[in-house]
Amino acid sequence: MKKWLSLFVVALFVLVLSACTATKDAGEKAPETNTEKEGEEKETVVETETEKVLTLNNGNEPTSFDPSVAFDAVSWNALNNIMEGLVRLSKDHLAEPATAEKIDVAEDGLTYTFTIREDAKWSNGDPVLASDFVYGWLHMLSPETASPAAFLAYFIDGAEAYNSGEGAAEDVAIKALEEKVFEVKLNAPTEAFLNIITNPSFFPVNEKVATENATWFTEADTFVGNGPFKLTTWEHDVSFTFAKNENYWDADTVKLDKVEWAMINDSNTEYQMYETGELDVSGVPAELADQLMDSPELKNEDQAGLYFYRFNVSQEPFTNKKIRQAFALAVDQQEIVEFVTKNGEKPAEGFIPYGFVGPDGKEFRETAGKLVGFDAEKAKTLLAEGMAEEGYTDLPEVTLTYSTSDTHKKIAEALQSKFKEVLAVDVTLQNVEASVFATEQKEFKYQLSRSSFLFDYADPVNALESFITGSSMNRTTWSNAEFDKLIADIKNETDEAKRWEMLIQADTLLMAEMPIFPVHYYNQVILEKPTVSGIVRHPVGYMDLKWADKE
Amino acid sequence: MGKYIVKRFIMMIATILIIASLTFVLMHLIPGSPFDGERTTNPTIQANLEKFYKLDQPLHIQYLSYLKSIVTFDFGPSIKKPNESVNELLARGFPISFELGMATILVALLSGIILGTIASLRHNGLVDYFAMTFAVVGISVPNFVLATLLIQQLAVKWDLLPAATWSSPLHMILPIIALATGPTAIIARLTRSSMLEVLTQDYIKMARAKGLSPARIIVRHALRNALMPVVTILGTMLAGILTGTFVIERIFAIPGMGKYFVESINNRDYPVIMGTTVFYSAFLVFMLFIVDIAYGLLDPRIKLHRKEGDA
Repeated sequence: MKKWLSLFVVALFVLVLSACTATKDAGEKAPETNTEKEGEEKETVVETETEKVLTLNNGNEPTSFDPSVAFDAVSWNALNNIMEGLVRLSKDHLAEPATAEKIDVAEDGLTYTFTIREDAKWSNGDPVLASDFVYGWLHMLSPETASPAAFLAYFIDGAEAYNSGEGAAEDVAIKALEEKVFEVKLNAPTEAFLNIITNPSFFPVNEKVATENATWFTEADTFVGNGPFKLTTWEHDVSFTFAKNENYWDADTVKLDKVEWAMINDSNTEYQMYETGELDVSGVPAELADQLMDSPELKNEDQAGLYFYRFNVSQEPFTNKKIRQAFALAVDQQEIVEFVTKNGEKPAEGFIPYGFVGPDGKEFRETAGKLVGFDAEKAKTLLAEGMAEEGYTDLPEVTLTYSTSDTHKKIAEALQSKFKEVLAVDVTLQNVEASVFATEQKEFKYQLSRSSFLFDYADPVNALESFITGSSMNRTTWSNAEFDKLIADIKNETDEAKRWEMLIQADTLLMAEMPIFPVHYYNQVILEKPTVSGIVRHPVGYMDLKWADKE
Repeated sequence: MGKYIVKRFIMMIATILIIASLTFVLMHLIPGSPFDGERTTNPTIQANLEKFYKLDQPLHIQYLSYLKSIVTFDFGPSIKKPNESVNELLARGFPISFELGMATILVALLSGIILGTIASLRHNGLVDYFAMTFAVVGISVPNFVLATLLIQQLAVKWDLLPAATWSSPLHMILPIIALATGPTAIIARLTRSSMLEVLTQDYIKMARAKGLSPARIIVRHALRNALMPVVTILGTMLAGILTGTFVIERIFAIPGMGKYFVESINNRDYPVIMGTTVFYSAFLVFMLFIVDIAYGLLDPRIKLHRKEGDA
């Protein structure tokens, strides 16, 4: 008994002791870091007049800073500022020469020749060479890299073959003609080519650095970029920092000295840190959207993409066009953005969102007009007609499926009540976990299901071609020969005006056939401190801090 | 005792293997793939990705390489973060979760036991009611509600403490309070009820009759026996808290490993699911083992080899 007792006491003692040392350690460590921090802060205080530090939140650890590996905003919003491609999106969202100073396009629209700036340099001082682009692009296309963004480069001759493992790297039509001259050959004229290569997956990779160290992009010490900023620190899962890149060819334009990125995943915490002044920019937590919508610090900008619903045209009753139209016209887009999502979105009037300007200088959406919108009377008539055509006395049961999330649920319920109110149809709601949802939608298991689209590059064809027969993005089983031909023609048309005309036709046809119905276009709602200016957010593309400033 | 430990150790390995195999089966039973999202991946690219992660191989080969990865404790690269191995993710996240968890457990254990003991000594008194009201509130208020409240009041309104992130001891205070309240309440209730039971036992009366000081009776005689149920739950509690908590780490932007448990499953990030599950189950099984040993230390009547005979 006594022995056990003493053992217990000893054990307890050890526990207490270790606890004490643990806290002591923490206590000792803490002041150190504190003083360091204070030191840093003091420095910044001393230099306040000159130092401009912007604090942002990246939400999460970037997937990868290898330009070929990640395919998400969490990596590319940052990467877009520490690297630069041949072209860069301007403040007006147009592709402009960047690392390249001169771009020559051959008459057939297939061959592009880029002359790289003499003063284009890497952050380590190396000159940016045409061979760095060849290296970077082939790295993206290599099947071993397994880049999810590689399909963007399929416009280049030989690219798809190489990426699928059937062709060789030498057959990809990209070449360094001279040290600073880079040539690309496409397999078809592509209007949007310059816009496509603003995408981070087309950034160059410093060949010398990458061959010496295959994991150069994983730490701040080894990272070499060529953007307006350079990566100075990167504490994984915690934060990373940018400093102005003195080697950048246009360094005079860059006003900020430093950018500090936190990784706060929770939108409420992010907003609270914005409130306490620890962040300069924040998103809007869903619960506060209502009260923050009128805040003078709020910015509402277009994002090219939309929220929509897919019919399965192989499952009754949506095999009938009129019944599809009836369901679509029963949906009140305006009501949904005003009372359900309440996030300042624009209601959808066709498949292509705002922000695409044609050769005539007019918005695509304006020329195409309002192709879909709430019309209760017409919806009722169409449903009656469609049911007569099919010989239904009762409409087959309809189940609406969405992936589990609060917003999706709210919209699904709004649709359900509208179908009931306008068409007197009872629709069953079903929610499915997101990843299962994605798989099953692809397998055409749902009758009516939610979906969304975000543009990869700024050309309406990017969205429209989803619906050609057999496309992996189709997911409706819809197939229409006229539409397929239209898209094929669009891809081969070199006359801009004609092409634009056909794009509008395609949007109109899609909305008439109604294999899908659009709900609302996406937007970016951001809170930004009044002292911050010049952060550019593109409808298609990633955040740009090149022109950003802070008072 | 030695024989018992060896036997338990073999059992532990078997348990982990069973858990791991079940996880593998379940993981591949749920529909969905790591590459599925709103954007349907181009078939060529999907093939490249599957090849990269060796998901194109038949399931039994995948299972074998999976078992191998458990034995060598090398789970390969994460699918969502291709530049990092699961080992790196765990090695980075676990120490932080462990630090937060250890502090939380210490706070919860000390305050819970003290609160419970005092409550039992002042049975049905004001202190008792106060402590038990606290316990009920502590158990019923979810920690994420408490966390948000704490940030809103102490950080945003009063500006006393930083709202989030993990960089100094000051930053640790709010998450520890938010995380420790629940366990504190549970420990306090357990301690109180078993103290009440123990205090009526004959040997306590005997000790009193002998004229021992009340402090000595409580600490050396009563509390020691009363702590058995606390030790029982401590094993699972430790494993749960030390390996990170998804919600609290998310709210306070603490870079621990809690998020990987949830995110890996949402993303179908197979290597990370494997890594976290095996790590957690190994940790849990080990904690339960420690608890069994601790029983013997606390209560000499529990003889480990006899227990072995029972089983």
